[in-house]
Amino acid sequence: MSIGIKDLPEENLFTAGHTACAGCGAAIVVRNIMKVLGENTVIYTPANCLLVFGATYPHIAWKVPYHHVAFENTAACATGMKRALNTLGKEDTTVVGFAGDGGTADIGMQALSAAAERNEDIIYVMYDNEAYMNTGIQRSGSTPYGAWTTTTPAGKVIKGKELFKKDVAQIILAHNVPYVATASVGYPQDMLKKVEKAKNMKGFRFLQIYSSCPTGWRHPTDITVEIANKAVESGMWTLFEAVDGRMEITHRPKERIPVQDYLKLQGRFRHMSEEQIRILQNWVDKKWDRDSRLEKALKMLDESTD
Amino acid sequence: MKRVVTGNYAAAFAAMRARVNVVAAFPITPQTFIVEHISEFVNDGIMDCEFIRVESEHSAMSATVSASATGARAFTATASQGLALMHEILFTASGMRLPIVMPVVNRTLAAPIGIWAEMNDVMPERDAGWILAFVEDNQEVHDMVLQAYRIAEDNRVLLPMMVNLDAFILSHTVEPVDLMEPEDADRFLPSYKPEHAYLDPERPMGVGIFTPPEYIQEERYQTHAAMEGSKQVIKEVNDEFAKMFGRDYGGLVEEYRMDDAEVALLTLGTVTSTAREVVDNLRAEGKKVGLVKVRFLRPYPTDEIRSVASRVKAIGIYDRAISYGVGGPAYIEARSALYGHTDIPISNYLAGIGGRDVMLSDIEFMFNDLLKNAESGKVRKELVWINTRGVEQ
Amino acid sequence: MFEVRFHGRGGQGAVMAAQALASAAFSEGNYAVAFPYFGAERRGAPVLAFTRVDSKKIYRKTQVYEPDFVVVLDDSLLEMVDVTEGLKDGGVVVVNTRKKPEELALGENIKVATVDATGVALEVLGQPITNSSILGAFAKATGAVSMDAIEKGIMDIFGNKIGMKIAEKNCRAAKAAYDRTISADGRPREKEFEKKPKWLPDVKELPIGGAGVKMETNAGMIGPGSFLENKTGGWRTFMPIVENDKCVACQLCWYFCPEGCITMVPYDNNRFKKGIAIDLDYCKGCGICAHECPTHAIEMKR
Ligand SMILES: Cc1ncc(C[n+]2csc(CCOP(=O)(O)OP(=O)(O)O)c2C)c(N)n1
Ligand code: SF4
Ligand code: SF4
Ligand SMILES: [Mg+2]
Repeated sequence: MSIGIKDLPEENLFTAGHTACAGCGAAIVVRNIMKVLGENTVIYTPANCLLVFGATYPHIAWKVPYHHVAFENTAACATGMKRALNTLGKEDTTVVGFAGDGGTADIGMQALSAAAERNEDIIYVMYDNEAYMNTGIQRSGSTPYGAWTTTTPAGKVIKGKELFKKDVAQIILAHNVPYVATASVGYPQDMLKKVEKAKNMKGFRFLQIYSSCPTGWRHPTDITVEIANKAVESGMWTLFEAVDGRMEITHRPKERIPVQDYLKLQGRFRHMSEEQIRILQNWVDKKWDRDSRLEKALKMLDESTD
Repeated sequence: MKRVVTGNYAAAFAAMRARVNVVAAFPITPQTFIVEHISEFVNDGIMDCEFIRVESEHSAMSATVSASATGARAFTATASQGLALMHEILFTASGMRLPIVMPVVNRTLAAPIGIWAEMNDVMPERDAGWILAFVEDNQEVHDMVLQAYRIAEDNRVLLPMMVNLDAFILSHTVEPVDLMEPEDADRFLPSYKPEHAYLDPERPMGVGIFTPPEYIQEERYQTHAAMEGSKQVIKEVNDEFAKMFGRDYGGLVEEYRMDDAEVALLTLGTVTSTAREVVDNLRAEGKKVGLVKVRFLRPYPTDEIRSVASRVKAIGIYDRAISYGVGGPAYIEARSALYGHTDIPISNYLAGIGGRDVMLSDIEFMFNDLLKNAESGKVRKELVWINTRGVEQ
Repeated sequence: MFEVRFHGRGGQGAVMAAQALASAAFSEGNYAVAFPYFGAERRGAPVLAFTRVDSKKIYRKTQVYEPDFVVVLDDSLLEMVDVTEGLKDGGVVVVNTRKKPEELALGENIKVATVDATGVALEVLGQPITNSSILGAFAKATGAVSMDAIEKGIMDIFGNKIGMKIAEKNCRAAKAAYDRTISADGRPREKEFEKKPKWLPDVKELPIGGAGVKMETNAGMIGPGSFLENKTGGWRTFMPIVENDKCVACQLCWYFCPEGCITMVPYDNNRFKKGIAIDLDYCKGCGICAHECPTHAIEMKR
């Protein structure tokens, strides 16, 4: 039986008193992941919201050792930590990097790709809030089409981001690492299972986790989880995992809801025209189709080579 | 065991003897052989370390910093563009007080792109909080990498350290080096057991915390005080090393034929070596010239340089880099140390830029110019560009 | 010269208010500067902003320590921060509250002005955004700038940021607040404001390399796990009210609370029945627990 909410310990290894905005999805994700990972864990955080809301000297929310160096080097630093632990007789300690989408899809991609290629024995968690939130909501490669950010404002001529979201999990999958998964703050069972699986494996493990951000997405603080559910139900977010490249979609909405039902809950999409919504719906349809075909292909590929 | 080896080999060998736990490095001419030698040592099973073949120098320094912050003895090496790419993380190493050791093979930093000896790569890093040592031969490369760990890991210091060696002139030149036996190295250098920074689930701590203004100024003071304090440690380690192995480098500076000298030339790196010969020649002609090998730019040997100035009539500073709009960096440092402490003429000699050979005649020119300054009591020319076409020297 | 300190919460627009006041004073021929307290606080956390006005160029680049006027955008801050700290004798505190000035005991030798800026904002703007209304109250209570100037300041700063139409509405809100502001002489505090001690080690005591090590200090625990010292309950505007009779112990709220301030507790003296307890020291009032509860056992109240 895999882990569920009721199996989680009461103790928080990421404590209250942290300074995340009310309703922060990333805070929910990190706090619960830590319950699965346990005390024998060492954390790296690059520059991002989590770095700032997780500690302000001399106060720290982490109860486990925690480390920060810079913005673009999560995978390199986590590697250094893991290798050092190996030489110090602590091979069984789990090393986890918690990076944002900016620190992963953009500035951190080089070090990330290299660590994946080397199959470093670390867990890399990308909490995806789809923009640079710590610096005040600027677009990232992971920001979806149409979204307002301070660098893709809803101007008189151009309204929101004109480009589409980069598929980071698929990029990492192409590195042939032992474990790649997407998860969401709105699907506890699915996420906990994946974290536990990752924890019990060796080699490079990558999790991209949907983390709603009331401040940056302009939504009321109480619907953080509801929005995450709608993201999956509309197909904006695909929940899948891939063990040794075998891809499997872990939650398939019975019938996908229109993307509009997802967009309308968030201020960041408020300005979108019907045309823009149609473009995004079209993109989602194609993405969903592609993800489904990919799942089939990767399964078949596996059968033919086994 | 004495063998004829390159400076790069001496550096890699010393890292092996230092029993470093973690190496993360990326190749760049002319440092490449350090990475390659370590790869050989590791793959031949004679070097027991975690070797991370990173994809860039930025990641090299990042992984090195994090390995050191975790509690391991960490090593990397680079040059030029690689050092510039590390720039951001160099400040983390010193800010976290991590005793990392890094040979830097000094090479031109583009543009123009070139691969030969120049110190414009390390000079911009003077404010990064690293101890900066400069060496003149391959034996010193080997010895200083080992000494560097003793200095850097001393509880009174806890700062990272670069060992600077000139591109090709040392990195690719073979000469006899007494390579240390493992037992001797172990006797000299005990293993690293940090008390201030480590990442251990049994005793959790945060290393690299978002810090408000209430604390950063005190931290800066501590680091500055540690850098000042490292002067004493550098001397102690030098003396202990000399006692154990018979090689004495003089600590922060080495004076050569400075008794009764009327002028002194301050040098960095391999030009020191050539200058020794020039000094001998000029002394044979009866000219009272002396040489001061500046072995450290950080911490700066302020007292030693002031003492030199008090004994001579003119001082010159050799530089292999230019800070545009002022002069050579080593000159800027010396002049600021001497401010208010001397009235003698001080002049700056730029030579060997971009890897151009520094000839005996070039150094002779410097000494003769200094003798003229000493005689007139005036600076003939403050910044002298040696051997520069179209520029009067 | 006069100096103003604004107390607000991240997201309430204290900085914009400070800027609009500067622009207002500038429009009357003054020199004026406005700046935030350079922090990294998230939405909901207490924040500061400052305005400094003089008839000639201002050279001073320090923060404001002895304000002439204090503006409080949210009366829940009165319990959390000493809003009158450093306030000059005869100074004025302008508070957004439903209370009358006589009901607030903030100290003697000062003037207290109150206005229900939230009410005004809801009426005029349809949203509880008070950073414009409070400026009207400021003009009325202090007389340091005219209401005309406040309108110019709002049109300048708000107009450029969120558009002229909305800026005009904000002017109307400010005007309405101006009319409804009342002042009274300050009453002595019932008890002195207790300031949280700060840990300020000297260069010998401070751990080197900025390491966050576990220690007990004069200001409580520091190091790993010590963020518990930071009581974020003060950020809350809405409060979760629990009816444990309805709780089915599904633990969803326990899981989804971003703060981790919900615990599962025995309930009704029945070892098979569990309910929840919320630690209000940390609850930021996000409302996720109430929204996710399948049996509606939690309700958010003001
Ligand atoms: C080299 C460098 N460039 C820029 C920054 C400024 N910076 C800090 S955090 C950040 C954005 C972080 O975005 P993301 O990774 O998505 O995390 P989030 O804050 O959204 O959680 C930026 C641009 C930096 N710290 N370092
Ligand atoms: S900005 Fe978003 S991600 Fe950052 S702390 Fe606030 S809610 Fe969380
Ligand atoms: S409102 Fe509920 S979910 Fe939000 S912080 Fe308070 S207890 Fe936690
Ligand atoms: Mg982000």
